[in-house]
Amino acid sequence: MTSPTSTLPGAPAGASHPAPAPAEAGGAAPGSRGDAAPVLVAENLTKSYGTVHAVRDVSLACLGGEVHALVGENGAGKSTVAKMLAGAVVPDTGAVRVGGQALSSGSVRTARRHGVQCAFQELALVPDWTVAENLCLPDGSSLRRFARGRETRDAERVLAALDLEHIDPRRPVHEMPLADRQQVEIARAVSGDVKVLILDEASSALTPPGVEWLFARIRELTARGAAVVYVSHRLGEIREIADRGTVLRDGAVVSDFQRGSWTDDELISSMAGRTAARAFPAPPELRTSDAPAALEVEGLSGEAVHDVALTVAPGEILGVGGLQGHGQAELLRSLWGAEPATARTWKVAGRAIRRLDPVRAVHAGIGFVPEDRKREGLALELGVGENLLAPWVKPHQRGGAPRLKREKGWIDEVLGGLSVRTRGAKERSGALSGGNQQKLVFGRWVGRDRKLVLLHDPTRGIDVRAKQELYDAIVALAREGVGVVWFSTEVEELVHVCHRVVVLYRGAVADELQGERLTADAVVGAAVGRKVAA
Amino acid sequence: MSAPAIPLGARFRRSPGLVGLKREGAIAPVLAFVLFFVIYVAINPELLTRFQLQTAANLVAPLALVALAQLLIVLVGGIDISVAAVMSLTNVVFATQLESASPVVAGVLAVAVGMGCGLFNGLLSAYGRLPVIAVTLASSFIFGALATEVLDRPGGAVSEGVTLATSGELAPYVPVALVWVLVAAALLWLLLQKTSLGRHIYGAGSNAEGMRAAGLNARAAQLTAFVLAGGLVALGAILLAGSTATGDPKSGDPYLLNAIAAVALAGASFTGGKGSVVGTICAAAILGLVGNVLFFAGVDSYWQYVVGSVIIVAVVGIPVIVRRLGVRLKGASA
Amino acid sequence: MSTVAAPPRPGTESDGDARHRLGEAVRRVPAAAWPLVVFAVLFLIGGIVRPNLLTLEALWSTAAFAMIVAIASSGQTLAVIQGGIDLSVPNTITLSALTFLSAVDSLGAFGAFVAAIAAGAVVGLVNGTIIAKLSLSPIVTTIAMNGFLFGVVLLTFDFSQLTDIPKFASDITSAKIGFLGTEVAAVVPVGLALLLALQALLSWTGWGRALFLVGAAPDVARLAGQPVDRIRITAYMLSGALAAFAGIVIVGFYAQTSTGMGAPYLLGSVAAVVVGGASIFGGRGSMIGTLGGALVLGQVATLVAVANLGVNIQQLIYGVIILFVVALYGRRAAA
Repeated sequence: MTSPTSTLPGAPAGASHPAPAPAEAGGAAPGSRGDAAPVLVAENLTKSYGTVHAVRDVSLACLGGEVHALVGENGAGKSTVAKMLAGAVVPDTGAVRVGGQALSSGSVRTARRHGVQCAFQELALVPDWTVAENLCLPDGSSLRRFARGRETRDAERVLAALDLEHIDPRRPVHEMPLADRQQVEIARAVSGDVKVLILDEASSALTPPGVEWLFARIRELTARGAAVVYVSHRLGEIREIADRGTVLRDGAVVSDFQRGSWTDDELISSMAGRTAARAFPAPPELRTSDAPAALEVEGLSGEAVHDVALTVAPGEILGVGGLQGHGQAELLRSLWGAEPATARTWKVAGRAIRRLDPVRAVHAGIGFVPEDRKREGLALELGVGENLLAPWVKPHQRGGAPRLKREKGWIDEVLGGLSVRTRGAKERSGALSGGNQQKLVFGRWVGRDRKLVLLHDPTRGIDVRAKQELYDAIVALAREGVGVVWFSTEVEELVHVCHRVVVLYRGAVADELQGERLTADAVVGAAVGRKVAA
Repeated sequence: MSAPAIPLGARFRRSPGLVGLKREGAIAPVLAFVLFFVIYVAINPELLTRFQLQTAANLVAPLALVALAQLLIVLVGGIDISVAAVMSLTNVVFATQLESASPVVAGVLAVAVGMGCGLFNGLLSAYGRLPVIAVTLASSFIFGALATEVLDRPGGAVSEGVTLATSGELAPYVPVALVWVLVAAALLWLLLQKTSLGRHIYGAGSNAEGMRAAGLNARAAQLTAFVLAGGLVALGAILLAGSTATGDPKSGDPYLLNAIAAVALAGASFTGGKGSVVGTICAAAILGLVGNVLFFAGVDSYWQYVVGSVIIVAVVGIPVIVRRLGVRLKGASA
Repeated sequence: MSTVAAPPRPGTESDGDARHRLGEAVRRVPAAAWPLVVFAVLFLIGGIVRPNLLTLEALWSTAAFAMIVAIASSGQTLAVIQGGIDLSVPNTITLSALTFLSAVDSLGAFGAFVAAIAAGAVVGLVNGTIIAKLSLSPIVTTIAMNGFLFGVVLLTFDFSQLTDIPKFASDITSAKIGFLGTEVAAVVPVGLALLLALQALLSWTGWGRALFLVGAAPDVARLAGQPVDRIRITAYMLSGALAAFAGIVIVGFYAQTSTGMGAPYLLGSVAAVVVGGASIFGGRGSMIGTLGGALVLGQVATLVAVANLGVNIQQLIYGVIILFVVALYGRRAAA
């Protein structure tokens, strides 16, 4: 993520690294480094949940001093593999060996004692504990007095050694921003005795400087001979850090790769099981019309947003960029009425907004795809149809089965139009894959006469195919004249699919980019508070 | 960290004890208790006589202990519906055992039965992964049935010696019941605040998944909380048996809602991970003595139910309203 | 890039499909039907033990008691579905019963009925408003309300004067109605009609569906533009009104009052709801299920009484049944 161009197909691979010498392109198989015996070996790991085979017969060998990437689409099983390596999930069959010694499976504790440390995307931190407590992990089986002062000093030392002086060890973790929490989680993993480090999407909330920090830690560890298993969606990061890797699809190994021997397209088609060029659809041409702007807001201010002015024409896709935590989430939530905000002028499709809450927002013709699809987007226990209808069942109207029947046409249209892979409107939403769940959250607003739709990073953490389908759906929505405000953490999406991009920095608009100026470098530059000359 | 320039007030506000109370939500109940105590003494200065202190302590002690037990369960993220039944059961076990055994043996047996009940609830909740409220709803039927099986009407053999040991005076102006409560509370406080196990109990209610993923045993902490809670309830039941001089298979019933109310009044979070021992004792004292205050103020004692409920909603609700208004004012001025 | 292995495609085995279909068929049986099935089985077991238990009369007598529990639990069902709990049911029952009896003289039977229901609705309104607007925990709020109502009841009513049960109350509860040559207490058809109407409200109205959405995922409902607070408040209002109706039914059927008349319904109502297959965390539950739960508990009581085992054994079995049902439905997601 440091250099956005490195995510582009065909960019020079592994050009700028001090890390171990890259193997020759198309080169040797594991073991050809001769003397190095693998530090971590996984043999024939298999795991089923009910009738679903999450992982089938996966074997891996990770060499000391190397970074081994695990890639695959969502649901390919890479997270399950990582958790089995870390001892958090018990494999049905197969074994994990560290330095030739078999780990008794299913215990993170034993794994940690053998030098297998891990950091997960869904943080393994206790929110009400302080950073110090989370770093030193008091042993619960003892009544030993636990020394707060010494612990804090230890934590301070650990944080200082890892360049994390900005984190206060006395602070409860839940009071800290997500990126800091993720750094604490990583700090805990790398500060112990590390033979093997497992990072499961551990960079998902990190800023580009944060990712650089993580890579520096990884390089320190590999220089000391540790093996690192790196699970990520971000091909740019994998290109930069991984020495070799394994592609998983449908829970099984489909291919291996080594540094410099692959292109994005190859990797993506291997993950997806088909040749899929990553093609961003172009935004629809903007027609000039007399219709009022989908959104016109001036002087919008709230908790984390200061004096923001935005105009979105009907059919326009306005991208919102910037590092996470610079007010994008609050901006979208304010525009949806889920967070208090004031503005000098505030119009949606020409109609002035005085008070806004989500109920009024639905009325005003707005739609919203929230950040966390599992917690804010979908009621996972309810059916697909009921979730699509969530904004549209009104207390005084019919609901339930009669409503599903009456709206069947619309529901089928949405499910078909977005290629949602489901057994039908009555299937439990929780049974769908992440990408298909995200399509449901988005699908609510399709064909419902929206003027403005707000999207909070809808493509985060979903597989490549679903991403592609969502891009098409967003463009189709805009083509119908809906104004779209789209916050994305993926710069390439903003650059290719949006008409215009505003970049937020510390809650204010740092730059507005369009046409020639709309480049990945400009977006990233503005995001760190640096304006690129036009 | 502390520069000499920090004014005294600010230093006080940053003192670890106060920060701790604030994080645990105990400021409001402690203030409420101080206010309540001042009103009490103003209405009835006689409180500070030996006899009245003793009766007040006997009134508050069982509730305080059961509330501490409920606090432990709330800390690990549940609500224990079965405290009333466990209290009844241990109460009658204690009273009937006194017929044949020495008070110490009967007491130990009652505490063991209480811990056994906690073990039952804890195993099903922590290791069986069943919702605490549903497990304890079921076990409250079971333990309640056992209590009536042991003793079907008030009775037992609570001797005068037992009564003196649980609800007499240790020294002038020092009621024994109060000593029992303070010893139990102090031990619990030390456990929760000063040991690793205590951090685990708070952690298990805060994020059990996270603890497990970090290689810590959250379930063991939950189970320990349940077992300890069972023991505390039994202790409360013993004090109650002593002060009422009988065993009664329905004696626990009034304590179910009152104990939950006390924990709520103490500012604990019912989603787990937050709650304070000090606040719980203050809250139990308030709820236990509301009736007394009204009596001395010459008000119909039935008002105690009304006043108690209003205190709960006020102490728990007012901070919320203040926070809301604060946010709104800040929003308006921005 | 070297291809190591071609992945076998999943899901082609035919026996797996058959098992899947069977599982699907079992899953498609509405959850609400299971308690009724269990009741039917228990009823048949009763008939095997004692043939005279396999008669319509026996069914009606169990059904009358169960229906009263079901009515008292109907409000609880709504509160639980929307993700809360209503522990003020006991004293709402008492308040309503006594309000009804003391207002009969001045307002007439129907007027008193309306006044009692309105009192229950006001109780629910206050509960709902505190829970929704102040975000206090439902358990705490309704416990406080229960205590408050206890005080109100003790301070307001004079029990010695409230002994006359108006005919209206017994007409809708204990009066016998002929049916297929047998006599059934009026509370059975009255309760059945009420529960079916409530079930229709839950299944077929936007309000009902929104209730499930709010219970299953309140944040999702709020961000999808549902008026969550209003839905919560109306649910508690309805819960209070239904508890009030239960109060009138109870006083009509048992023809006596006391300060503790609602107490058995504190845990009893929650038990019926849980045995009826509702999720204690909200988002799942039904009126038919609650009726089934009440019938199961009622039939257990009948069987225990016939076998002369005593109330203790009955309570013990209740506990075991609840544990069993919770173990079936209530597993938290795997760690």
